[in-house]
Amino acid sequence: MPEKTLLKASNISKSYSGVHALRDASFTLRSGEVHALVGENGAGKSTLIKIITGAVLQDDGEIVLNGEAITSNSPALSKSLGIAAIYQQPVLFPELTVAENIAIGRERLGAFGVIDWKERRNTAKALLERVGARIDTETIAAELSMPQQQLVEITRALGADAKVLIFDEPTASLSEEDTQNLFKVIRELRADGVGIIYISHRLEELPVIADRVTVLRDGRTIETLEMADVTTEQMIRLMVGRDLSAVFPKRQVERGEVIFELKNFGSRSAGIRGIDLAVRAGEIVGVSGLIGAGRTELAKTIFGLEAPDEGEILIKGRAIHIGHPSEAIEYGIAYLPEDRRKHGVVLDFPISANITLASLKKLSGFAGLNFRFGKEKEIAADYTRRLGVKTPAIFNAVSTLSGGNQQKVALSRWLMTKPSVLILDEPTQGIDVGAKAEIHELMMELAEQGVAILMISSELPEVLGMSDRIAVMSGGTIVKIFDRADATQDKILSVALGHLESAATR
Amino acid sequence: MESLTSPEQKPLRTEQAWHQRIFPNNEWILLIVLISECLIFSIKGNNFLTSGNGFEITRLAVEIGLLALVMTPIIITGGIDLSVGSMMGLSAVVMGGLWRDAGFSMPAAIAITLLVGLIGGALNAAMITKLKAPPLIVTLGTFSLFRGIAEGLTRGIENYSGFSPSFLFLGQGYVFGVIPTQLFILVPAIIAVWWWLHRTAYGRSFYAIGFSQEGARYAGIKVRRRLNFIYCLSGIAASLAAVIYVAHLGQAKSDAGTGYELTAIAAVVLGGASIFGGRGTVLGTVLGLFAIVILQNGLRLSGQPTELAGVLTGVLLVVTIVIDRAWRPHEGGSRNAISEEFEVKNWQIGVLSGVILAAALIVAGSNWLLVRSIKDEKSSAGPVQTAIPANSKKSVIAMMPKAKGDPYFISCKLGAEEAAKELGAELLWDGPTDLDPAKQNEVVEAWITRGVDVIAVSVENKEGISTVLRKARAKGIKVVTWDADAEKEARDFLINQATPQGIGETLTDEAARIMGGKGEFAIITASLSAANQNEWIKYIKQRLTEKYPEMKLVAIQPSEGDRDRAFQETQNVLKVYPDVKLVMGIAAPAVPGIAEAVKQSNRKDVKVTGLSLPNMCKPYIKEGIIESIVLWNTVDLGYLTVFASNALSNGTFKSGDKKLAAGRLNEIEVVDDEVRLGKPFIFNKDNIDKFNF
Amino acid sequence: MIFSRYKREVSAAIAFVVLLVVVGIAAPTFFSAGNLRDLVINNAPTLLIAIGMTLVILAGQIDISVGSQFAVCSVAAGFLAKTGMPIPILFICVLLTGAAMGALNGALIGWLRLPSIIVTLAMLVMWRDALRWVTEGAWVQNLPENFQWFGLGQTGGEILIVAITLVLFAFFAWSLRNLASARKVYAVGSDAEAARLAGIRSPNVVFWVFVIMGGLVGIAALLNAVRFSAIPGNSGVGLELKAIAAVVVGGAAISGGRATLIGTLIGVALLGTIGTALTFVGINPFWEKAIQGAIILAALVSDVALGRLEKNGKFNLAGAKAA
Repeated sequence: MPEKTLLKASNISKSYSGVHALRDASFTLRSGEVHALVGENGAGKSTLIKIITGAVLQDDGEIVLNGEAITSNSPALSKSLGIAAIYQQPVLFPELTVAENIAIGRERLGAFGVIDWKERRNTAKALLERVGARIDTETIAAELSMPQQQLVEITRALGADAKVLIFDEPTASLSEEDTQNLFKVIRELRADGVGIIYISHRLEELPVIADRVTVLRDGRTIETLEMADVTTEQMIRLMVGRDLSAVFPKRQVERGEVIFELKNFGSRSAGIRGIDLAVRAGEIVGVSGLIGAGRTELAKTIFGLEAPDEGEILIKGRAIHIGHPSEAIEYGIAYLPEDRRKHGVVLDFPISANITLASLKKLSGFAGLNFRFGKEKEIAADYTRRLGVKTPAIFNAVSTLSGGNQQKVALSRWLMTKPSVLILDEPTQGIDVGAKAEIHELMMELAEQGVAILMISSELPEVLGMSDRIAVMSGGTIVKIFDRADATQDKILSVALGHLESAATR
Repeated sequence: MESLTSPEQKPLRTEQAWHQRIFPNNEWILLIVLISECLIFSIKGNNFLTSGNGFEITRLAVEIGLLALVMTPIIITGGIDLSVGSMMGLSAVVMGGLWRDAGFSMPAAIAITLLVGLIGGALNAAMITKLKAPPLIVTLGTFSLFRGIAEGLTRGIENYSGFSPSFLFLGQGYVFGVIPTQLFILVPAIIAVWWWLHRTAYGRSFYAIGFSQEGARYAGIKVRRRLNFIYCLSGIAASLAAVIYVAHLGQAKSDAGTGYELTAIAAVVLGGASIFGGRGTVLGTVLGLFAIVILQNGLRLSGQPTELAGVLTGVLLVVTIVIDRAWRPHEGGSRNAISEEFEVKNWQIGVLSGVILAAALIVAGSNWLLVRSIKDEKSSAGPVQTAIPANSKKSVIAMMPKAKGDPYFISCKLGAEEAAKELGAELLWDGPTDLDPAKQNEVVEAWITRGVDVIAVSVENKEGISTVLRKARAKGIKVVTWDADAEKEARDFLINQATPQGIGETLTDEAARIMGGKGEFAIITASLSAANQNEWIKYIKQRLTEKYPEMKLVAIQPSEGDRDRAFQETQNVLKVYPDVKLVMGIAAPAVPGIAEAVKQSNRKDVKVTGLSLPNMCKPYIKEGIIESIVLWNTVDLGYLTVFASNALSNGTFKSGDKKLAAGRLNEIEVVDDEVRLGKPFIFNKDNIDKFNF
Repeated sequence: MIFSRYKREVSAAIAFVVLLVVVGIAAPTFFSAGNLRDLVINNAPTLLIAIGMTLVILAGQIDISVGSQFAVCSVAAGFLAKTGMPIPILFICVLLTGAAMGALNGALIGWLRLPSIIVTLAMLVMWRDALRWVTEGAWVQNLPENFQWFGLGQTGGEILIVAITLVLFAFFAWSLRNLASARKVYAVGSDAEAARLAGIRSPNVVFWVFVIMGGLVGIAALLNAVRFSAIPGNSGVGLELKAIAAVVVGGAAISGGRATLIGTLIGVALLGTIGTALTFVGINPFWEKAIQGAIILAALVSDVALGRLEKNGKFNLAGAKAA
């Protein structure tokens, strides 16, 4: 298949509120290739994709498709040009059937166009078969599982005759079998001349499916290499680049006694069971595993957002019962959630109100009747300065901040509760590298103050860089706990994937 | 800690600008609207800017105010409660029933009533928090349910009244002689809710819930508990409002609070709250509430019809949310700061709101001019007056029907206008569009403030209106009632078309004549709680037992003054009671509906009679479906009322007179304090063409 | 398969059948041909309005101004008829009157993305009060001969009313399933953001939904008015509640994206017959409102039982979706 350049992004720059997401980044995609795009959280991958699909406009640089530059890009325009993206969160119409969902993406009927349901069903069936998805075309989208929804999304993009297909973490919640199916389809598409951009944190997959890989770091393109010429370690080194200790400022902390313990902990509704874990003061335990392994569910159950039905939680040796997040907070447990925009902060609230939201009682004055506004401002200003939140005023809404600063505000909220146990769920997801380092530094300081920290993360460098021990979850339970010294990337992955041999040996 | 990014630190601002703190939702715009209203009305209206009027405005605002105050946190959480007006109705009849029939003491009855409000609110709360059902539909269901229970319990008929003066003082009294009692409830309520919402942690949690329900939960806020609380509180607030309402009007009926929920919601939204949640202030709600109330009051004092208030309130509401949308384009759904595609540009919004505003002004302006031109026409043009009384100062006669929209009263208006033109008097004709005793009180209050010469009222609620009529008399205003009476000492004279007894008997006799003295018949009435109609029914039943034992009344169905409803009810009656030989309609709009139903059913053996207006029954009388209708000359009734009022006002007619000179009606008989138009008149095929009203 | 997806409609249908059985036992005369005919004709206008309301709710919006629009269209029909225009032209004019009012709603709600509950609340008050102001409550009388029953006599007129209603019902039922533009309404109501990404112009879809609603109100008003020889000044009070209740009881999801016209039909039938059924069985007719309210609440409970309410685990406020 003659290779020609399909898509070329040249010297793309983009900043948000003074923070550079992309700096002079370039990227080339050939037709008929699978081109992997890797980088840490905050390296700029998502921003680049948003610019290519027209969801966001670049500050500088241009995108050229098939030799023609794209001006005034937009989601509709990029779609019509044949660029399709499939994200981690499926965007289907929950009440409509699979067949209809697939059809809506591709049909171009006018105001009085009549639908041929038979044709729709048949088309959908054919497309689904190509993808190898065993899904009935008449199922309502809301009834599908997450992996199934993803497959339908992929099918929809296929149906829209995409020339450039972008996959953003597509295999994160797929089973081994589904992953292989997906790879099969991707290979077929590649043979058809479709250009595929493949973003993934699962570096071990890439040698199996990708032809080339581009590494982004700090918003810049570092290098583009043939997949055959690079090892996983090399990729990580390129991704992280700087002195590891600056991004992962790990210091030795004297571990205190066990202050947080889970014994045979489980929740049927949350899908976790048989969790045994003990965390000491000053210890950082990384929690690794695939999406769907139950990590966030575990955190939510500990925090009182889901109801446990077996086992116990012990704080400083005392068994406690947590029925609601407010109780967890009272026991000194804090939880920084995964979805920052929905759960981590209240976007329309001012920074100060966000910081104090979990500690309202402390500011409540006599019989809850007299809110201490002055004190609130003092505390909020204090945290804002201390964590380096970049904002001119503490009464500005959190929505005006960049992702990294938002996360700092979210963290401040929990710091204010003076927790003894802090659970962090993907703390550096979607934030810039500078803020990332700051948050890691903060974690270390907290550990030094004796806080027990549970860190859920999908980013292996982060897990390996910051944890004292690493708990690997799979299928709703902790399968193995590694010590820092013993852990390697491969070992963790193989446990996470659930079999003894890794999917790709390097 | 070293920041890895450039440490260019400007000083961190911690204090917001004062106008953002006090007016977070641009409530200052509403304040300007309010001030403009006051300015305009102090010029156009009579006695608008007096302390008396100021207090009266406050009294009007209390009941809705309580509802609106508690509605504010509910809307802030992104919810809504449509059931508060209906809960008022239910609470009113529960309180009335407990006190009058179950013999509870007033305080005990009130306590149990508040409990009922709590239970109703808890029902809403449970469905919303436990079942996670949408508040709009849940409260739509309870809106129907609560009112329905109230109507079912009382069979729509019951009207509890005769409360003790100490209770009535709560709603009608004046502390220190000038300050309405309700003020001492409203002001503390405003302060309490304001404090609670804006100066406590509890209040802040509502805003968090409104912006991000899940986010609030993740922060440890007990969302379900908060929501349960606020909906329960809403129920209690509605019951409290009902208690005050009953004390205010002196009567408890199942229709209490009808439509109040919409006004309360309008006040909150007008005040800048967002229906999506997260925004709203007590200041805004209070401003919105008074903007609406003052608009109504001011228009009345300027002699403008009540409908204009409704139209302007609607326009104001739309303009408010358009402005809010221009200010905050991202609200309500697409929080996607990235989506710029379907952004409506601000200038487009400006143009659209300008157009709407211009259209509204044109409509208002043209009607203003239209009304004024008609008024000018009335007072200047016309033939030379016949009997201009010696005292030729132009009397201001304020006349109020029970319902402006009822054709019966529309025909009375014709006669009233005729008389006013003849006498050179100024006629103010206003009142509620449909039966609404609370509105009648409001209008009278406005007239007292305005300082009219005579007030003439067709009374919907005897007890409730009497207090305010007494007040008018105390201020030297002459008071007459017409068509339906108030308490005797509350008015100077009653202009009576016929006694209820006379009406009832005439109706029964006509029915008997048509039916030959025996058989089954049914009555279609107005609403089951209409006072006049119930009086007539009482006398009809009496007459039946006295004179026609072989005639049987098998059903009384309501029509709510709705022609279509009367039509349907008659269809049902004809089927359920196949032996019925006659249907009697005792509400004017009902009779044509009854006749049409009989006609369409092809039941030649069924006859129709009743009380209605000639014009709307003419075709059916000619076809022989309606045998006859009983009435009196309603035009003459209006005519006579204005003449009597005018004569009262200039002193030519006073208590003790036995006769009254009434223009083309010549001399009318006066018996004690009643001016009698005459006997009921029977319209039938032979004479129907002579009349045109 | 069908049974499981349409659980809600099935349970509504069962409730209706139960009602009929109870009435059949207590008062068999209910099922006389005359009564059934009257029920159908009396509820035909309500059905038309409920069809429009189904579209509105499908799109994730709500409209509480239909009662006032109905009143305006009724009076307009009368005034226009008095000018002597031929019946077909009259039909179109009344339809356009309703559509114009609907367009105003559609512009504010669809294009300006204002919340539908507030806009239609304002319209409810404005239209009714403006109407009263202009007509002063007077009835429109002395209509031309050919107005009542379209000049076809009672039987002919009744047949025409039922026919028009059936045709419209069938048309909308078919379109909702098979017209691409109708499916867009489902998409917009299901997930406005996804619709946008799929290239559907939500503002226009919402606009046209309200225009159609208005047009249907106009037709309903005319079909109702021709049964009589005069037009009262204040018809249609409480009509919006009836329509919304019928749609909700018939299984629509109030947050949008899911509704069937069969369900709406059952809802109209159920709620429309209760009042009459009560009279036949001899129960105090003033319990009708309470029963309607209870039915709405029961529908919500059954939604929970069927696990249909938790969308994102949030408590949904209808009309809170801006297009």
